[in-house]
Amino acid sequence: MNYIPHTKEDISKMLSVVGCSTVDELVSEFKPRLSELNLNNPMSEMELVAYMTSLSEKNSQMKCFVGGGSYDHYIPSVINHLVSRGEFLTSYTPYQPEASQGILQVLYEFQSYICLLTGMDVSNASLYDGASALAEAALLSSAYTKRRGIFVDAGLNPEYLKVLQTYCDGTDLVISNTIDENTACVISQNPNFNGEIKNPTGLIEKTHLNNSLFINCISDPTSLAIIKPPGEFGADIVVGEGQSFGIPKSFGGPYLGFMAVKQFLTKKLPGRIVGITTDGKGNEGFVLTLQAREQFIRRERATSNITTNQTLLALTATIYLASLGKTGLQNVARASYHNAHLLQEKLRKKGIDIVNTNPFYNEFLVKTPKSTEKIIANLAEHNIFGGIDVGDNKLLVCCTEKNSLQDIDLYVKEASI
Amino acid sequence: MKLIFEYNQANTKHTPEEKDVDVPKELKRENLLLPDVNEVQIIRHYTELSKKNYGIDTNLYPLGSCTMKYNPRVNEDIAKLAGFSNIHPLTPVNQAQGALEVIWELQEDLKKITGMDAFSLQPAAGSQSELLGIMIAKKYFAEKNENRTKIIIPDSAHGTNPATAAMCKFQTVTIPTDKRGNMDLDEFKKEIGSDVAVVMITNPNTLGLYEENLSEIKNLAKENGALMYCDGANMNAFLGISKPADQGFDMIHLNLHKTFSTPHGGGGPGGGSLGVKTFLEDYLPVPRIKKENNEFVFDCNQEKSVGKLHSFYGNFGILVRALAYVRSWGTDIQKISKMAVLNANYLFSLLKEDFDVPYDRRCAHEFVISAKNLGEKSTINIAKRITDYGFHAPTIYFPLIVKEALMIEPTETESKETLDAYANILKIIIKELKEEPELLKNAPHTTPGRLDEVKAARQLNLRWAPQE
Repeated sequence: MNYIPHTKEDISKMLSVVGCSTVDELVSEFKPRLSELNLNNPMSEMELVAYMTSLSEKNSQMKCFVGGGSYDHYIPSVINHLVSRGEFLTSYTPYQPEASQGILQVLYEFQSYICLLTGMDVSNASLYDGASALAEAALLSSAYTKRRGIFVDAGLNPEYLKVLQTYCDGTDLVISNTIDENTACVISQNPNFNGEIKNPTGLIEKTHLNNSLFINCISDPTSLAIIKPPGEFGADIVVGEGQSFGIPKSFGGPYLGFMAVKQFLTKKLPGRIVGITTDGKGNEGFVLTLQAREQFIRRERATSNITTNQTLLALTATIYLASLGKTGLQNVARASYHNAHLLQEKLRKKGIDIVNTNPFYNEFLVKTPKSTEKIIANLAEHNIFGGIDVGDNKLLVCCTEKNSLQDIDLYVKEASI
Repeated sequence: MKLIFEYNQANTKHTPEEKDVDVPKELKRENLLLPDVNEVQIIRHYTELSKKNYGIDTNLYPLGSCTMKYNPRVNEDIAKLAGFSNIHPLTPVNQAQGALEVIWELQEDLKKITGMDAFSLQPAAGSQSELLGIMIAKKYFAEKNENRTKIIIPDSAHGTNPATAAMCKFQTVTIPTDKRGNMDLDEFKKEIGSDVAVVMITNPNTLGLYEENLSEIKNLAKENGALMYCDGANMNAFLGISKPADQGFDMIHLNLHKTFSTPHGGGGPGGGSLGVKTFLEDYLPVPRIKKENNEFVFDCNQEKSVGKLHSFYGNFGILVRALAYVRSWGTDIQKISKMAVLNANYLFSLLKEDFDVPYDRRCAHEFVISAKNLGEKSTINIAKRITDYGFHAPTIYFPLIVKEALMIEPTETESKETLDAYANILKIIIKELKEEPELLKNAPHTTPGRLDEVKAARQLNLRWAPQE
């Protein structure tokens, strides 16, 4: 394929303006010149579509009863139509605000939605994904408290813990088992990895008595439609994964990290932030603000090295939340909750042990009577992706509004064999 | 400027209605203050906002260092194929072979393009790739029991380089730029030593110039045991022409959204990647993909690995688009860079006589000129005025070492016609600047007009909140 518009005449005219006889001469500084390049023959669009489609067909799309950081929520049609608009899709970081009022307003709305949902004061305009947002929150806590210890409450997504550990190793922070004078922050996922809804009040009190910051991590934020928001419990930082808000599962990315804080941490936030200001005539408009925190100005003294974020996914989430509104988001959360509780109840009646004892949202753990691996394989034969094998014969199961009663019954039948 | 929160309408039912849930009172949400808005209004609201936005689809978008090239639409369709978009990341690998193959094949192609021995596609963006590279360097030297505390970075570098070094608790040593626009070799010689862990070089550098002393820098770095890191943000200059590994680099990160044309999406998602030489391969993040008996598997047991960087495996949807892009070009890939370099040199030639030229050399895929000959604050005024003519401004006031800088990267997908039009408009604007300076000081003549960024930072308004 060819996305180069030049004709031969164009090229020769341009070369004469540049004062060069060949294009090769223009790139002669790049040494050593490579001798061979074993790439494929160029493909036409039709050949490319056939090749890539054949790769996509090697993946099986199953009915999804799995969460663990990626959720199979329904995506309203309107989202794709709006997100595909070239003015959004092909723009970049709004360095010239007057030419970017559209995306800036979207990000302002996104920040507002995140604050409304989490009960926090200020949100940034997105981070890479849930795991790295959590790691950035730990770095923020360390910068604010001038301490290096990170305490992680039980029930954090194990993949998030791995990413946190990597960031800690690289930046000289330490994950420790105690809350003490070195503790910068206490991290707690709610609902936790097993789906349980916890009351964080006691842990938050303990954290604040120790002058540490409390970080609440959320992996399926549709839960916020029915669970009391972390801001009301007293969390200082809320981070999480926004994939549930209209973003396809897409084998794990691109997703949407979010971070919201209480007022006193505003200037410590990493990443882009949009604010409202005025022009000389008093007309209101949107700009990137508090840029003095960022790497392109502060270099080695920046709050983070982050540059690009996930704006297009923030746009997706904003349109998702606008489309669903209060009524729709509550319906999604309630249906996810009811389906999960129905499936759990049906499995219990079939004699399968339920591990959760606390209230839960849309994920729960069961103890399988025989090999978890075999149950997953048996369900897969019926085109059901049945859960995450978390070891010790335990299976983590998830429901969303998309799981039909028929599929739930099929699940129960095939899981109980 | 009506916000979405200012509508109050009947909701469009996207999923069925449900009865309330039985969550204990102390855990249950009382108020959810999201507006209900009908789909008709949602389409109009966001269509209207899209019209207030400028993209590559609108016109030339010559932001230096950002490689704003055309984003092939077929790649969008491919990424949306259900076999890619509807796959849960924890799907057992035997049922996600196509997904693993995408990652594997792209790694292979990037190895061929850069000459590196191994790649990780887990980083979500360029800056996270840098973070990975510096984490790897830190672990590598720690295991060798070498106490290296410094990272050498030229003063023309992207801000992410020093920011990343600082995150990993290294001391940044900044080397000035010499008269030809290269990292000053004499200053470099004073600083290179056994306490230096990494020399981070952007090639071509952010002035759009090939680092002429690269070979000597590499030799000195190697003699002193330091690693050579290439910030590959500017790889669009030499695809298929020269390999970074052959130039002496041990590591390189590529920004897939730049060089490999995945849409910038208003600021992201980007796509990162890190390529390394064999001796650093074991430090790459887990899981890594292996091929066993013609089947792809994840390998999580890498003892030396720095760990994991992403919730799952990286920005997979971006990897799909990047693979499609590389495969569409195949062995023709060097045409991209040749035309990118031709376009930059052509536009540079058209503008040389009007601006101050800090480094008068042939440029690579981008160039930096200065408006200091036109007076203080000319650059911001020119940039704002460009908007009035239906074009986007270049990157301005970067790199920091050039006063009144305009950093222009046209990319290969712009025609001669478009470049002529852009040069012409800049010439008209310079004339206006001399004859009607007020016209520029008040630009752009849009609504809203030039926005007060100082006020934005002093009187923070960062969210909508319901009236009490």
